[in-house]
Amino acid sequence: MELLLANHGSYPRIGDSPGQQRLRRAYAQQERGEITSKEFEAIQTSVIQEIVEEQAAAGLDLVTDGQIRWYDPISHFTGQLDGIKINGLLRFFDTNFYIRQPVVVDQVVWKGPVLVEEFRSAQAVSPKPVKVVVTGPYTLGQFSILESPRYRDLPELVAAYTEVLSKEVEALAAAGATLIQIDEPSILQHPGDAGLAKAGLTRIASRKGRTRLLLATYFGDAVPLYEALQAFPVDALGFDFTYSRELGDLIARRGSDKAIAFGLIDGRNTRMERTEEILPILRRALPKVKGATSYLTSSCGLEYLPRDKAQLKLKKMAAIRAEFVGRG
Amino acid sequence: MSRAKLKDLGIDLPIFPTSTVGSFPKPDYLVEARAKFAKAKIDRKELEELERRATAFWIKTQEEIGLDVLVDGEMYRGDMVAYFSDLMPGFEQSGLVRSYGNRYYHKPIIVGEVQWPGPMTIGWWRYAQGLTKRPVKGMVTGPYTVMDWSFNEYYPDRRSACLALARAIRREVEVLLEAGAKIIQIDEPALSVRPEELPFAIEAMHLVTDGLPAYFIIHACYGAFDAIYSQMLKLPVHNLDLAISHSTLNLMAMFRRDPFTKDLSLGVLDVHSHQVETPETIRSRIEKALKLLPKESIWIDPDCGLKTRTVEEARGKLANMLAAVKALRAESAVN
Repeated sequence: MELLLANHGSYPRIGDSPGQQRLRRAYAQQERGEITSKEFEAIQTSVIQEIVEEQAAAGLDLVTDGQIRWYDPISHFTGQLDGIKINGLLRFFDTNFYIRQPVVVDQVVWKGPVLVEEFRSAQAVSPKPVKVVVTGPYTLGQFSILESPRYRDLPELVAAYTEVLSKEVEALAAAGATLIQIDEPSILQHPGDAGLAKAGLTRIASRKGRTRLLLATYFGDAVPLYEALQAFPVDALGFDFTYSRELGDLIARRGSDKAIAFGLIDGRNTRMERTEEILPILRRALPKVKGATSYLTSSCGLEYLPRDKAQLKLKKMAAIRAEFVGRG
Repeated sequence: MSRAKLKDLGIDLPIFPTSTVGSFPKPDYLVEARAKFAKAKIDRKELEELERRATAFWIKTQEEIGLDVLVDGEMYRGDMVAYFSDLMPGFEQSGLVRSYGNRYYHKPIIVGEVQWPGPMTIGWWRYAQGLTKRPVKGMVTGPYTVMDWSFNEYYPDRRSACLALARAIRREVEVLLEAGAKIIQIDEPALSVRPEELPFAIEAMHLVTDGLPAYFIIHACYGAFDAIYSQMLKLPVHNLDLAISHSTLNLMAMFRRDPFTKDLSLGVLDVHSHQVETPETIRSRIEKALKLLPKESIWIDPDCGLKTRTVEEARGKLANMLAAVKALRAESAVN
């Protein structure tokens, strides 16, 4: 049983040193028309390279591009589809982070790959494999305002998002992505819609080829949905352990038919985990997990933390794995 | 109905008491001064002089508009949590965290036992109350919101952090009452973000308010309001201030299921909109509530602080709010 270290998704795009604030300055300069979009892009790319290297240096096996190009997890993808207008700010779950809300005004149409170039350019500068992260159709549907009469209700809108995401996943698989993470935090808030989310993932999975799919849930207790999630057509399930004290016991008791991404490092709090808090959970649960490769990761993306703390969390994760493997 | 409570405290308010949620826009000269202060180009004394000038402006403006219960306008505050966490032992500031777009902020970190550092708001309350005969609300940010908007490296869990903060905030409320404040508003915009935590948020509110002689208002943005409404009635306060100006909630059904037992501050102005609502629009929002609640239990205010509006927008919105209220009061007197 292999336990890989994976970054969850987002990563702080600036830090507190002047050099680490270059993207913030560039953003403001671009808004004022002081730099060209090409100059902005060059700075953005250099930041992605920096944070990819930061993750690799911390000892991670799988890195992400930190979603540095994303305005937020909802509007980045939807904003590049036909039929969508991007509206005002909306609080993202119970965080102090705000997303821009998509308004569905017409038929949702995929115009071409949104994430493929992002994946390629991150992979080009990364010494480690890059995991691709995309927000799932159910969560996109939940955060959208439906104005177009083309879709009668949430299930129809989720089906439309499923179609465009299937094409995106197919394009990513063709571009060489080996692991794609589909984020569906909203299903924990709406467990009654698990069937709807599952139907979406089934369709997406049919287009993934040999790429592994990881379904990531977070910002809620996954225990009530644990059994249902086992039947989802994905290779791995990702869980946020900060919302549930029982999840580790449940996995140890019931086992898992799929690999698990253990979100045991709190991505929302600066407090540093102690190795002795995490190890017992891994020791009890991991032997009960089927699938050759599981992951140790944070509970959610790390952008809710300041940069210095995010980096320390990654290093802590590596230290915990070393301890686990050493005595495992 | 808590009108008797207000009478006990010696406060006589008209029907449909009017107030605001707390913050007002900072005049340009104060915005500039705060930027200069951040760059150490002016000293604290110069900044405070301008904060006092802006506070006096807003007290006078509120009187001119005709509001019944005034606020100091928070000219001295940046962020509603950071204002308190910067003053309280037990907190440090984190590195920058992104809020949205290119906006970043320093989030407080609880690194030790949180303590009341001595009066944090009394000076400003005294100054504001000294400028008017109308009651000025004492304003504190609630323990649940301070906890939720901070990292916690010290307390074992969110509940213990929240309760520790509640004990410290109670001390601030006690000194506000000693100074003469009779109406205290506790801001808890984060209250509804995790419905499962409401029991300890209520426990914390007991620690803040129990046994204290004041009329307590809690300001909460609605979030998952429908899920937590019946529990919110257990909050030990007299008045719930809810952002429901353009809410699609079916209040009627909720109130039928669990009758509303407190006063309701009805947020009738949308503070996130530049548009100045007409008196007719405001009136229709109030009339909707009148179908559900006795008029004696309704207060009228904007749905949140007005700090993101311009001075003129804030004035225009409040003037129209008062126009709508005055018309309703006149009709109420006739009937």
